Amino acid sequence: MKRADILVVGGSAAGLTAAITARRHYPEKNVLIIRKEKQVLIPCGIPYIFGTVGSPEKNLIPDAVLTQHQIDLLVDEVTGIDRENACVSTAGGDTIAYDRLILATGSLPAMPPVPGFDLGNVFPVFKDVLHLREMQETLKGVSDLVVIGGGFIGVEFADECRKSINAKVSIIEMLPHCLMLAYDEEFCVQAEQLLQERGVTPMTGVRVKRLIGKSSVESVELSDGATLPAQAVILGIGAVANVNLAERTGLPIGPTGGIVVDRTMRTPDDRIYACGDCAEKISFFGGRPSPLKLASIATAEARIAAANLFGTRRENIGTVGVWSTAIGGTAFATAGLTEILATRHGYNYVVGAAEAPNRHPGGMPGMHNMKVKLVFEKRTGVLLGGQVRGDAAAGEVINAISACIQRRMTAEDVAMFQTGTHPALTASPVTYQFVNAAEAAIAALR
Amino acid sequence: MSRILIIDDDFDFRATCRLFLESAGFDVSDAADPEEGVRKVREEKPDLVILDVLMPSEYEGFEVARRIREELKMGDLPILMLSGVHEIKETPYRFYPDKNYLPVDAFLDKLVPPEVLTRKVREMLGIHREAPEAPL
Repeated sequence: MKRADILVVGGSAAGLTAAITARRHYPEKNVLIIRKEKQVLIPCGIPYIFGTVGSPEKNLIPDAVLTQHQIDLLVDEVTGIDRENACVSTAGGDTIAYDRLILATGSLPAMPPVPGFDLGNVFPVFKDVLHLREMQETLKGVSDLVVIGGGFIGVEFADECRKSINAKVSIIEMLPHCLMLAYDEEFCVQAEQLLQERGVTPMTGVRVKRLIGKSSVESVELSDGATLPAQAVILGIGAVANVNLAERTGLPIGPTGGIVVDRTMRTPDDRIYACGDCAEKISFFGGRPSPLKLASIATAEARIAAANLFGTRRENIGTVGVWSTAIGGTAFATAGLTEILATRHGYNYVVGAAEAPNRHPGGMPGMHNMKVKLVFEKRTGVLLGGQVRGDAAAGEVINAISACIQRRMTAEDVAMFQTGTHPALTASPVTYQFVNAAEAAIAALR
Repeated sequence: MSRILIIDDDFDFRATCRLFLESAGFDVSDAADPEEGVRKVREEKPDLVILDVLMPSEYEGFEVARRIREELKMGDLPILMLSGVHEIKETPYRFYPDKNYLPVDAFLDKLVPPEVLTRKVREMLGIHREAPEAPL
């Protein structure tokens, strides 16, 4: 029987990061990844295949990273886990023993079974090069494209497809605005205006009633009675933890459908860990189940799981929820709680916002206005969340905000935050948006 | 004793499922097709329904779930969807409980080990109404 000290099932963001982390923390152990895909796509880059990047082949995680870290690879599918004898069996007929097992089996796209879901040219987005290539070919000939779901995936797909194909692109979103699970209304409205300027039509507050067509989709009927022509439909409504293997082996599944783990990312089986989209998550705020699935969460969990394999070294603080998107040259970024989410979590809160040019003076090249909005708990002044709209730097500003949230900094702490500024790179030290947003909130806290 | 209704067109599955759910202390009845299933939900008012998807030809189970919620107005009746549809149709995606699109409470793949199914049924009967409205 073959044997691996550390066996990782899955080779995408979580699996790969877990393997690299295991190698760093336990250099004397051998590490094997078993994954079923010949080529691994960069998950967050998938929408960009359809516009900016141009093809699935240009959006791959190179296997060189495995050899560089002396990680063994087997392309095969794990079909069973024998927990008693600590070994896995594969579709290719191998049996491989493990000392520690990390499950990083990811997620699968969620399919809403509306009537007509099984018609041709209805595309769930799954991480497979051939599927994406076929989807790309089909979309070339389409004149009306409907994207179901106005979250990040839906918005990015719509915007990218609009760049590369000559089609009328619409987004169908059930909530009153696109991106509403991540931003407060004022940010969502701006994002929708940008989408419209770029030729994408967001249709909000409606849901899909049925997909109509003979063999392939021809139109989409909405809950308000309207019918949209559609030669293709892309589903961007979210993902479901891929837990089939874990479920069959009797590992418990949590309330959002993920494998149950503790704060060390260990399952109830002491030798099995899980991380990434397949693992159950709890919110940083209050500890309730969290359905968030992001590659950045997956890699953070992978670094925890792998470091803990032979002795607990790290604990998961829960999911903060930090992510960004860009529509044209405008970035939208978010961390932690919006006003809507703070209310749902039961917080009393105050907000502060500041907007200023990201250069000083404003005539410097690359000037773009940047707005920062912060949400603080009312009694303690602890930072609960932040939203940023601006140029590409918003993607990094939000990471600084996330660090402050994770350290539970207060509005006073943020107001005294020591920043570095430069005329060609940032707002002026006087108008620096993050700090001024905290000052604005302090006025409301008094 | 909690009453469970199994709606599934597979005789063998119904018989096996009935056997181990009864041995776990449940009162079990079954229906072999969607019409009989909806009728028994209305007449027998079970505490939980185990519902197949593919019967007898295509995706009728989805429609049964909608009818239970919309026609029978039984929004609180726990429905456990239990189907081999993902494997049979080799789907690269998953159907997933959704208030608007798939109004069931849980979805398990056949053939789930009996102890996992029993655990899920108990969990659904025990905590169904106390579950948070939506995960945060």
